[in-house]
Amino acid sequence: MLAIQTIADGLVLGGLYALSAVGFSLIFGVMGVVNLSHGAIVMIGAYLTWFLWHAGGVDPLLAIPLVMAVLFAAGYAAQRGLIQLAVERSSLLASMLLTFGMALMIRNTLVLVFSPDLRSITPAYAAHPLILGAVVLDPLRVAALAASLVLLGLLAFVLQKTRTGRTIRATAQQELAARLCGVNARHVYGLTFGVAAAFAGASGAILGIVLPFSPPDESLWTLNAFVVVTLGGIGSPSGALLGGLLLGLISTGTSQVIGPSFPNAMMFLILVLMLLLRPSGLLGNAFAGSR
Amino acid sequence: MNRTGWTLIGLVTLALAIALPFMVMPFYVRVGQLILLSSALALSWTLLGGFAGYWSFGHSAFIGLGAFAGGLFETGVLPGTGLWGFAAAILVGAGLSAAAASAVAWPILRLRGIYFAVAMLGVSQVLAELNNNIDAFKGSMGLVLPRLSAFGLRPEAFFYDILLLATVTVFLIALWVKTSRLGHGLLAMREDEDTARMLGVPTERYKVAMFVLSAALTGALGVIYAHSLGYITTSSVYRTDFSLNMIVYNLLGGIGTIAGPFIGSAVMVVLTQVFLGRLLNIHMFVTGALLVLLVLAAPRGLPGLFRRR
Repeated sequence: MLAIQTIADGLVLGGLYALSAVGFSLIFGVMGVVNLSHGAIVMIGAYLTWFLWHAGGVDPLLAIPLVMAVLFAAGYAAQRGLIQLAVERSSLLASMLLTFGMALMIRNTLVLVFSPDLRSITPAYAAHPLILGAVVLDPLRVAALAASLVLLGLLAFVLQKTRTGRTIRATAQQELAARLCGVNARHVYGLTFGVAAAFAGASGAILGIVLPFSPPDESLWTLNAFVVVTLGGIGSPSGALLGGLLLGLISTGTSQVIGPSFPNAMMFLILVLMLLLRPSGLLGNAFAGSR
Repeated sequence: MNRTGWTLIGLVTLALAIALPFMVMPFYVRVGQLILLSSALALSWTLLGGFAGYWSFGHSAFIGLGAFAGGLFETGVLPGTGLWGFAAAILVGAGLSAAAASAVAWPILRLRGIYFAVAMLGVSQVLAELNNNIDAFKGSMGLVLPRLSAFGLRPEAFFYDILLLATVTVFLIALWVKTSRLGHGLLAMREDEDTARMLGVPTERYKVAMFVLSAALTGALGVIYAHSLGYITTSSVYRTDFSLNMIVYNLLGGIGTIAGPFIGSAVMVVLTQVFLGRLLNIHMFVTGALLVLLVLAAPRGLPGLFRRR
């Protein structure tokens, strides 16, 4: 029974990991840029949601579309204004430094605006646990998992079936060829970054209702995204979903079996092993950045 | 600039560096320490990152490993032996870092570019987590190291001199590497590894050698840094910002050169410690903004601004 509870908790956490990593994965897959400010964007999402709930009484799950819209615009602007310039003038590796600088700025701003204290979002319906046989589930966590899966499905649909999604995938496969077909590559990169930031923001909203958070957590969420992407495979929602769920299971399993202070060590060990054994991830989607 | 010019600049800088502790207040001796430590670390990083083109994003792994291995050895095996214990600790720290680097070198150096960078980040996180969570390593509770000094020097002047000695040593090693056959092989590798290999450069051996050398020097510097702090925990030596700063200093000063790490760390340390020292609550914001500005405005480092293409 303990095992089943562990698996259930792992899946809920895994859904959050998957959603928080999918934007990181998209940016890496399409542009080859490792976005070290990803976790900071997740935190912006969490704080925006907290602010809307705290000051305006907006339900955190209903706040998600608004947060996504704001972060889409911000992400598009950051890509066109800063990151594209860095990639063109310097190198992909230097863009890691640029995004790290952005992460520091965002983190400092969040501390100044919202204080370094731990915050959490707790709507009124949080207190009634669902009991299914021997497994106890918090309805809020179930809602969080459901929201994560719906959003991942939405992204998969957009990438596979819509015109914009096809353009993004084409640019990821070969920028030059896409441009010859009349695609405005810079605009597509901006869109990709915007979509990634929007999904990071959505995961921040969900993170806020599942766990307490504070600005320095941003580095943890960036590293989580790294591990999820290396586990699952780069550039696709399905890779992020697989990697996220696995990571959630590994994390709760490790703290259950080995000890509560070892999930992080285990996560990074698996990251290194995956890089060595199968750098393209379990699903091995080969977008530009993974070649 | 020709060889005589560089030698002159080097000697004048060295003379000024030796004289510094006698001329300024203790606070500025601390700043001097930090510049020396940063330069030496950045230079050790550049042996692999700048010369061979393998950017490690986790070099603080070796600072932490060296600091704790040396410190635990010194306090456990040779307590109360003063400077001899310190010297032994430096050797143990460097040796263990070198051993750890040779253990992971073969698999990890098969990765290139971003994958190598990320794998090193992972290695440093694994080591930090283990150090923090296994009680025998004293990472979470902390390790108190013996207070050291010699020749009646104040502690900050003593560590300044030790760091100066260490920096000169790393500088001479880097100079030797850069001007030797090895250095030319590394340069060829950085530009195009497959071609270099085809032309007969033993790329595998060269990059492993550089990785181990770089790790050993970083480990030794870790031991010295730990003693200058006096008390270390996991979070004070396994610091991701150390890993990133090593890269920033190199980028700022010009990557792949020997003067670069010195220029970069001097500029950055003076900016962040002296001018921004009073702005603690926006310190991180300004550091981040400087990074963004650096990558956008001076992608080839500060010297690149004054040099034509």
